[in-house]
Amino acid sequence: MAAPLPLKNIRVANFGWVWAGPVVGQTLGFLGAEVYKIESRARIDINRTLPPFGEGVSGPDRSLQNHAGWAGNGSVSLNLKEPEGVELAKQLVAKSDVVIENFGPGAMEALNLGYDELKQVKPDIVMLSMPSAGLSGPLMNVRAYGMSLTSITGLDSITGYRDGPPIPVENAFSDPYNGIMGAFAVLVALTHRDRTGTGQHIDYSQQESIMQLAGPAFMDYVMNGRTATTMGNRHPTNAGAPHGVFPCQGDDRWISIAVMTGEEWQGLRAAMDDPEWAQSDDYASAAGRVANIDALHEQLAAWVAGFDDRELSELLQQHGVAAAPVLCIGDLLSDPQFKSRGTYVEVTHPLGFKETIYGSYVKSNKFEAAVRPGPMIGQDNDYVFKELLELPEDRYRDLIEREIIY
Amino acid sequence: MVSAPYCAKLFSDFGADVIKVEPPEGDVSRQWGPFPNDEPHPEKSGLFFFLNTNKRAVTIDVSRTDGREQFGELLRDADLFIENNRPQQMRDWGLDYDSLAEANPNLVMVSITPYGQTGPYSDWVAYDLNAYHLSAAGHRYCGRPGEAPLEHGTFSADFYGANAGAAWGLAAVYGRDIVGGGQHLDVSCAEVIASVFTGCQNIGGFAQDGVYETRTGIGMPLGAPATILPCKDGHVWMLALEPGQWNALAKVMGNPDWMLLEQFQDMFVRAQNADAMYPLIEQWTMEHTKAEIMERCQEAGCPTMAIMTVPEAAEQPHLKERGYVVDIEHPVLGPMRTLGAPFGLPESPGGPTAPAPLLGQHNDELLKRGVAN
Repeated sequence: MAAPLPLKNIRVANFGWVWAGPVVGQTLGFLGAEVYKIESRARIDINRTLPPFGEGVSGPDRSLQNHAGWAGNGSVSLNLKEPEGVELAKQLVAKSDVVIENFGPGAMEALNLGYDELKQVKPDIVMLSMPSAGLSGPLMNVRAYGMSLTSITGLDSITGYRDGPPIPVENAFSDPYNGIMGAFAVLVALTHRDRTGTGQHIDYSQQESIMQLAGPAFMDYVMNGRTATTMGNRHPTNAGAPHGVFPCQGDDRWISIAVMTGEEWQGLRAAMDDPEWAQSDDYASAAGRVANIDALHEQLAAWVAGFDDRELSELLQQHGVAAAPVLCIGDLLSDPQFKSRGTYVEVTHPLGFKETIYGSYVKSNKFEAAVRPGPMIGQDNDYVFKELLELPEDRYRDLIEREIIY
Repeated sequence: MVSAPYCAKLFSDFGADVIKVEPPEGDVSRQWGPFPNDEPHPEKSGLFFFLNTNKRAVTIDVSRTDGREQFGELLRDADLFIENNRPQQMRDWGLDYDSLAEANPNLVMVSITPYGQTGPYSDWVAYDLNAYHLSAAGHRYCGRPGEAPLEHGTFSADFYGANAGAAWGLAAVYGRDIVGGGQHLDVSCAEVIASVFTGCQNIGGFAQDGVYETRTGIGMPLGAPATILPCKDGHVWMLALEPGQWNALAKVMGNPDWMLLEQFQDMFVRAQNADAMYPLIEQWTMEHTKAEIMERCQEAGCPTMAIMTVPEAAEQPHLKERGYVVDIEHPVLGPMRTLGAPFGLPESPGGPTAPAPLLGQHNDELLKRGVAN
């Protein structure tokens, strides 16, 4: 029988919205925490409005990508524009270990739900605030989307074809990254709380967390004063070549090939039947291959061109070369690796339709992560308000009637 | 390399006693640079420095029986064991979870590999690049149509795997009494991205409707402006989607007449007419610097950002005021600088305070005499 989940005694009030905040709740929820996203029909989260929808029928409880990103969170609905709604949120916080939010700085204070106020109702609360650029400093009120947040970390300046202009990453790569890192931050603070009895207000700047990804280029600046440029698919510290993706047979099919060691280079030569060009002294050392990378890539691309991406990956693997197909979205469900690991799971939404979401994105040999469909707005209202907060039935009905619980 | 070291750094920078175990010749990242003046030196790799702050280090040859004994000693009281070797290599060394758990049932082992411990690719040779592109992140979201799908110019998949390993690894230690001892956590860098990023946004729709999209090279194709545009001294992330943001941009640009035209009145129609619109905005951006554009747009309520180079990002007053960049003295490199903690904990601050260790620096204090390399 699977073991109990490691965070089963932790309760989380998640005011997070859109993507990063909900993923913090998801990660803690997969690991067994009881997580309630606090939201309202009075201001429906934009992520609930994004297509595609379950069975093609639009509605705030049918956004498929929203369900994948929020799965693991429960939901209670409270209109926080109403003082009674705020009061109930505080009562939930009083019974929670963790509060999560990813609004701009000051937004929670404006709702009378700032850290100082929450500390009054739960002195050892761990509160995670994760605005774009942190809770202090001249950029603290910067308006950023997850998609463009990377621009103030240096990361966008190295993303693009070699020496060309920066190429936009067409979605918020940093949002789910910050969601997972936010869960780590919460766990560090909970560890501290359990040892000392002290909670804290985590000042999580999404900019600072993401800027770590630019660490290798940052070190080159520190050491050599160099300004990194767009890297293409080259090795981030130029330590090996070939290192790129190459077009294969078919439409928009590619293979990734990375050679870092001499042994791997010998393997690649053998796989190619050691053509004359590959025997050149220019390519004998890693430094030589990096220095002549453009010519090397051109010659390799010519060899790769006629192959099927999967067949060539197998062939190169037999020779000890790091190669793999570059998947498109259409490959994900049928790829043998993801299929074998149960990366994606079909669940039945409470509204009755089937939907495919991702499952436990880390596997444990001890427990089954708590993966449930994405929450319906207010799906946990009965439990939270009647059992946890012990509201009498008539008061609960009245609050629903007056759209406080809404 | 990157994934397991960055994962372990997240622990060492927040106070855990992390011992880095290297083979006698050292971690590969010691050879990867960047190096001062581009001169390779095993104690001068900027990547190694960045990834290994606040750790102690020993050298152990785990391919030898006595090396494995030494390593077993270190693991006997350890809470966590973080590694990123090929699964078959770990089995060959006798360092698979089942063997290790016999000696220390409380051990949480975190394996972070490109493809994970199970499945047909689990023993494939792979690096960050391969794992990243298996997730479809580049094919879907980065690059121009007809040209190569792109990674971000860094070890994106390794960082994602490290991050997931840290969160789940700490949860497993935190809840060890509840779970009933240690466990093995299996992190696939490719799978993490294919779940939380590409999977989240695409898999539900693809499974239901059988259709999917690929990269456009533009930015956000459904709404506009949402793209990177050149300016006088670089580039900006031009974003003005909501009506208030569009009006703010108009104000900053001096209310040009064309912005009042019907084909530019909401983000969706603007996207359909983006080819006509982007050159018009570009005329304006080319007359201004990125800092100026960002400042004026932000002030007016439009979320446009400057695309900062790495040095510009590092030197911005905002990060200086927050103390994000920290100075550390390294015995061989001398005065060094690195990035601080990824998040701020006022009651228990983290971040690098000690430099990355030299090769085998702590052999004497950590390994039994006589068997150290």
